[in-house]
Amino acid sequence: MQDHTYRSTDIAADAAEPVQTAPAAATAVKRPEDYGYWQTQFKRVKKYRRVLWFIIPAALFTLIFSYIPMLGVLFSFKGGDFNLLRGGVLENLFTGEWTFQNYLDIFVDISFLKGVLNTFIINIFKLLICFPLSIIVAVQLSELKSQTLSKIILIIICIPNFLSWAIVIGTWSGLLDSQGGVLNELLVMLNFIEPNYFTMSKDHLFKFFVILLAAWKGTGWGSIMFYAAIMAIDKSFYESATLEGANRLQKTWYLTIPAIMPTIALMLVLNISGFMAAGFEQIYTMMQVSEELEETQITLDTYIYTISIVNRTNIPFATALGVFNGLISLLLMLVGNAITTKTLHRSLW
Amino acid sequence: MEKTIKNPFKKNPNKIHESMFDRILLVLNVVLLLLFCVVVLFPLLSFFSLGFSNSAFNSQVVLYPRGWTLWAYRYILMGEEATYFWRSFLNSVIITAVITIVSNLVEAMAAYPLSKADCPFRGGIMMYFIITMLFSAGVIPSYLLMYQLGLLNNIWSVILISISNVSNLLFFKTFFEGIPSDIEEAARLDGANELQMFFLIVVPMALPVIGSCCFFSIVGSWNSYGSAMLYINASATTQHPLAYYIYLLLSRLETVKNDPDVVAGIRNLQSAAMLLSIIPILCIYPYVIKYIKNGLTLGSVKG
Repeated sequence: MQDHTYRSTDIAADAAEPVQTAPAAATAVKRPEDYGYWQTQFKRVKKYRRVLWFIIPAALFTLIFSYIPMLGVLFSFKGGDFNLLRGGVLENLFTGEWTFQNYLDIFVDISFLKGVLNTFIINIFKLLICFPLSIIVAVQLSELKSQTLSKIILIIICIPNFLSWAIVIGTWSGLLDSQGGVLNELLVMLNFIEPNYFTMSKDHLFKFFVILLAAWKGTGWGSIMFYAAIMAIDKSFYESATLEGANRLQKTWYLTIPAIMPTIALMLVLNISGFMAAGFEQIYTMMQVSEELEETQITLDTYIYTISIVNRTNIPFATALGVFNGLISLLLMLVGNAITTKTLHRSLW
Repeated sequence: MEKTIKNPFKKNPNKIHESMFDRILLVLNVVLLLLFCVVVLFPLLSFFSLGFSNSAFNSQVVLYPRGWTLWAYRYILMGEEATYFWRSFLNSVIITAVITIVSNLVEAMAAYPLSKADCPFRGGIMMYFIITMLFSAGVIPSYLLMYQLGLLNNIWSVILISISNVSNLLFFKTFFEGIPSDIEEAARLDGANELQMFFLIVVPMALPVIGSCCFFSIVGSWNSYGSAMLYINASATTQHPLAYYIYLLLSRLETVKNDPDVVAGIRNLQSAAMLLSIIPILCIYPYVIKYIKNGLTLGSVKG
């Protein structure tokens, strides 16, 4: 496919290049394949000389705000009393001693291990609860007879996705407030809970609320992708299944789910690629609202943020943590991409 | 020959009747979905009613305001909070506008030459962009960059860090690849130069894609406050985006005020500020509705 477009545009746009028809003429005129790599590239640069500068602004932004920070990796190899925020960064780079100690410290840091554990627990529960929930909602929506109704419902359940995390958390902590929160009062009235029990600031309920709020915010929007995939299934499959006497549950299980399996697999891989992050804004805001949980409910993102930006204690170590985190994410992405290209013939990017 | 004409208003006699099981399932399905709608709407209605209620009645507000008052709104829009709130609102407008326009323009421009199959060094340039999507060195190196540039405690740090958006670049590139080259040939024959070609031919054709990317940029930059938490100190109040203001209001860093009215009515104030902050999002929500109605074509591409 790509080769074909290459040929056709090349021939169409570059009239100076003769079209080869007879094999006898091959010796007289060079074909594109006969040029060396650099010659071909030079010809192309000449052809596109008026458009190529379009890339420069984006390339510059990427260079300054993505590549130059990557040099900051060097700070993680600095030890001792190295201080980044006093004096120039570059000056400091030449003063302290070079060491690998920061990377070795990662593996004996209790808070880091706790952070990894919490991040993984949250992500696994999100994968087990939020992810299937959006598939279920999409299937349910597609089963409705009236498309208008399903679209109205979709419009309503997508609303929370467009609110910021601060608003989502504010809404729920307002409802669950032990002093006058409506949901809290309601649950107490129905004798479900004791007052002051069901709040975000309870240690054992924190992860539950993380998952609950993530599901509340993301399920509607998450189901859109699956809904679109289900809508693209050929309706005649359903008709023949109906003629064969399949009921709705059977049609869903044996027809809908297998048909959207590629979409499910793709989203699953994308999900797993982001396993090192558990939603910094959400969790840090929830911690701030509940005030006391920073020790036990720490995640990787919030740990790095706390030790570097809030406390400013050990910045080289925090940099090392960030680099380590980035490398693991990179690994997960590459593995995920390898899986999707192999099974779905589709690259993640 | 006898010919029967079907009555179009009569129900199809060949239709297979649904079993009882299917009907029960369908009803259950509708009930569950409506329940989900209630779960989504109830917290929002209940919480936003607080903004219009007297703080003495807070525990009785269920679905509509009790003890109607606009005290919270007056406090935020005209009272003590007014300068802080309006300043944050303005900051958010600037951040959102600059990110949306510059980011999408820059990425679309870069995507145009890269969408040509015989663009020189295409693979290398794409790799240059994609690497930044795959690996980042973490928050501290970029914090130090902003420190060196003197942009800490300045909204421009939040803007500049969000300009580069490789997923949008890939998105535009895929779309531009689908534009037939004949159209560009025709424009070239009519004497269009490259800039005219891009802005008068390619961009208008790509408007649906550019529109949806702009929409996601607007929502993303309006709602996010993670980068503001990194680069902007809580004490630099003139440089806060609105979402950061809401976050600070929520996390009780702001309640160290001696006014007993404010301490009692903090929930009402939060509710009012949050409702005010989602007004711009409400303004563009019709776009979401249109997008969902028009068959979600983008969703299937973006996956």
